[in-house]
Amino acid sequence: MPASQNNIKLLTGNSHVELSHLISEKLNIGLANVTAFQYTNRETAVIVGESVRDEDVYVIQTGCGEQNINDYLMEMMVIMNALRTSSARRITAVIPNFPYARQDKKDRSRAPITAKLIANLLQTAGCNHVITMDLHASQIQGFFRVPVDNLYAEPLVLRYIKEKYNKDDLVIVSPDAGGAKRVASIADKLDVRFALIHKERQRANEVSRMVLVGDVKDNVCILIDDMADTCGTLCKAADILMDNGAQKVIAIVTHGIFSSNAIEKLNLSRLDKIVCTNSMPLADKLQKCPKLEIIDISPILAEAIRRLHHGESVSYLFNNAPS
Amino acid sequence: MRNLVVLGGTSHPDLTKSICRILTTEESDVNIGRFSNGETSIEIQGSVRDKDVFIIQSGSGHINDNFVQLLIMIAACKTASARRVTAVLPLFPYSRQPDVPHAAVATGAPSITTKKDTYTYESAPSTPRPWTKSGFDFGTPPPFNLGVNSSSGIGAAGHILPKSFRAKQDKPVERSGERAAERASERISERSTERNSERSTERLVEKSEKSCDLAKPNDSGYKKWISQNGTLIANLLMTAGADRCVTMDLHDPQFQGFFNIPVDNLYSKPLLKHYIIDYIPNYQQCVIVSPDSGGAKRATSIADAIGCQFALIHKERRAKANSSGPPSAPGPLGTRSAGGFSSTSSVNNPNGHQLVATTMLVGDVRDRVCVLVDDLVDTSYTITRAAKLLKDQGALYVYALVTHGVFSGDAINRIAKSSIDKLITTNSTPQKTHSEMLGDKLVVIDVSRVLAEAIRRIHNGESVSMLFDHGW
Repeated sequence: MPASQNNIKLLTGNSHVELSHLISEKLNIGLANVTAFQYTNRETAVIVGESVRDEDVYVIQTGCGEQNINDYLMEMMVIMNALRTSSARRITAVIPNFPYARQDKKDRSRAPITAKLIANLLQTAGCNHVITMDLHASQIQGFFRVPVDNLYAEPLVLRYIKEKYNKDDLVIVSPDAGGAKRVASIADKLDVRFALIHKERQRANEVSRMVLVGDVKDNVCILIDDMADTCGTLCKAADILMDNGAQKVIAIVTHGIFSSNAIEKLNLSRLDKIVCTNSMPLADKLQKCPKLEIIDISPILAEAIRRLHHGESVSYLFNNAPS
Repeated sequence: MRNLVVLGGTSHPDLTKSICRILTTEESDVNIGRFSNGETSIEIQGSVRDKDVFIIQSGSGHINDNFVQLLIMIAACKTASARRVTAVLPLFPYSRQPDVPHAAVATGAPSITTKKDTYTYESAPSTPRPWTKSGFDFGTPPPFNLGVNSSSGIGAAGHILPKSFRAKQDKPVERSGERAAERASERISERSTERNSERSTERLVEKSEKSCDLAKPNDSGYKKWISQNGTLIANLLMTAGADRCVTMDLHDPQFQGFFNIPVDNLYSKPLLKHYIIDYIPNYQQCVIVSPDSGGAKRATSIADAIGCQFALIHKERRAKANSSGPPSAPGPLGTRSAGGFSSTSSVNNPNGHQLVATTMLVGDVRDRVCVLVDDLVDTSYTITRAAKLLKDQGALYVYALVTHGVFSGDAINRIAKSSIDKLITTNSTPQKTHSEMLGDKLVVIDVSRVLAEAIRRIHNGESVSMLFDHGW
């Protein structure tokens, strides 16, 4: 008897339907008829409209929303639980921006390690595999007992820089010491110089004093970070770079959260341009911020899904960007 | 009390305060907030090392937010070396996951939140459904504009929900589900606004060709179903590290079986019983009524305990074949059947046959005081419909006794205009705004004493079962 057919099913939560559609177009697979909704009492439920028995299911949901990040999280777990109940063979959570990734350590007494909790909750809900992108700390992979594919936006960023900028007068800058490794790797691959901004941080989301290490005079500076939240760091970094004689400053980040008044800050800042991926929905912010530019990550996610489904190696994607 | 720590979530701070006062203990300091990106942040101020921690969080308000908050607090206490963490959930979230729908899009909560001037309390069971366009006019958003909606994330609470639904409208693959939801909404609007009934019937007929019925197998032969998340919630609580759960009047007693940890299910029955005995004049003469067959057992046990009569309202929805004509005018027909009074209304099903909805009262309530007993009122459709049927059958006065008053959507407005003369509920969920809106019509019973006593007994290792019968 031949093995039963094992098809891909793509599902989307409500957090970032646009990205799901892009992935679905790239893979040429429609989104499955599974709909998450809320009752009036705000409990989440999901209507499963087609069979997923013995299928290889991918649930696309990103961590976003200042008011409803927890709704989307519950939604993802409800969907995965429903899929498990309906005998899906393998459930893969595709989470471009992993929620609660920054709460990954017990940095003060009685602080919750929420990233670990989320990892446990996702596994409890029935997730067998996780695809994510540029985890804030790659150690979060260790919080899971299931395989985690942490993809990198780096190849896409490299391509973007190569296409747009002349590498002769380029300096890659890390806005904090934590990102030095990421920035050094990009600078090596582009064969350009890199600089570092050291910041003394008193509290989260608050930046106090910054010191530039390296020379940026008359150069185009590219600030690279994994996420831009309130953008305080980026704006201050841009100030420092401009004060030190930079020609212009561009910021490239993977996850553009842009919470609270980040967009206004960016508009007023001395940043020439801010580039981020569409790991989170940004359509309204694009309209409000003329400096914002988007790199599409759907090809990399789609290719990762395709490779995972066919049992091919995903590590190719760490260094190469599919188009 | 030594080594006892009581923490409260943001869902119901008044209840936490009240419980702490009764326990004569200080509520421990927790800073609950949000990071700028929306993630929940928890800071537990006092030490919990080797303490017996109780975390009080009700399943009300922004349920998912509150639930995640609870999970994070449990995990934080566990990582901070708490000896035992007990989740106290006066109203258990997701406990009333509706049944797998047998004839409708969904059972559960319909979603009209707009305030209406008139309500009809037809005796036809409604067809509650997911978010539909009826309450909100979305216009026709162009495809792929969802980012606008979902990323902004800020706004009034009421805007969050339609936003998520709006997102769905663009998904072509889900069109059939949406259509079904639309159709269901029209079914409702047909019933509820009689003026428009003709027009919506026409629309129904128009839609009938392209609609696919949820109850019917679709092209692939797959029957749509709606997830039930009871086990998920239980598993998540255990994963977060809860060692014990205390809750009240679980909708399904089987819920306890979903857990591998002890679950103490307290009962509000003694409190409700005391209310009947203390406040209802001539309570021996009243009739206890269950608004649906599912609650019959709960209602009979109260009727037995105080020694009064019992009646039952039964609703059913049956598809009657071979009636392809236009539907008869919706509305109660008040026929007298063998079993008792029943009222029927029929709704045209796009598949050509009629869906006959019957609500039947079993028992006699003429010239009697009726006490409706239910465990949870959400949209209030069931209970207001039941109250109307009772008044139609000659009931003098209708009390409604409900353990958990969720009152989502426009439930409060419905109740205000309904035949319910007095609504009694508990403060397992915050009732402040509700009682402001309903005034004297709403009586709130305090459950903090029962919960506090349960906490005290659990902490001291005493038996909790005594609370089941006597209350506190």
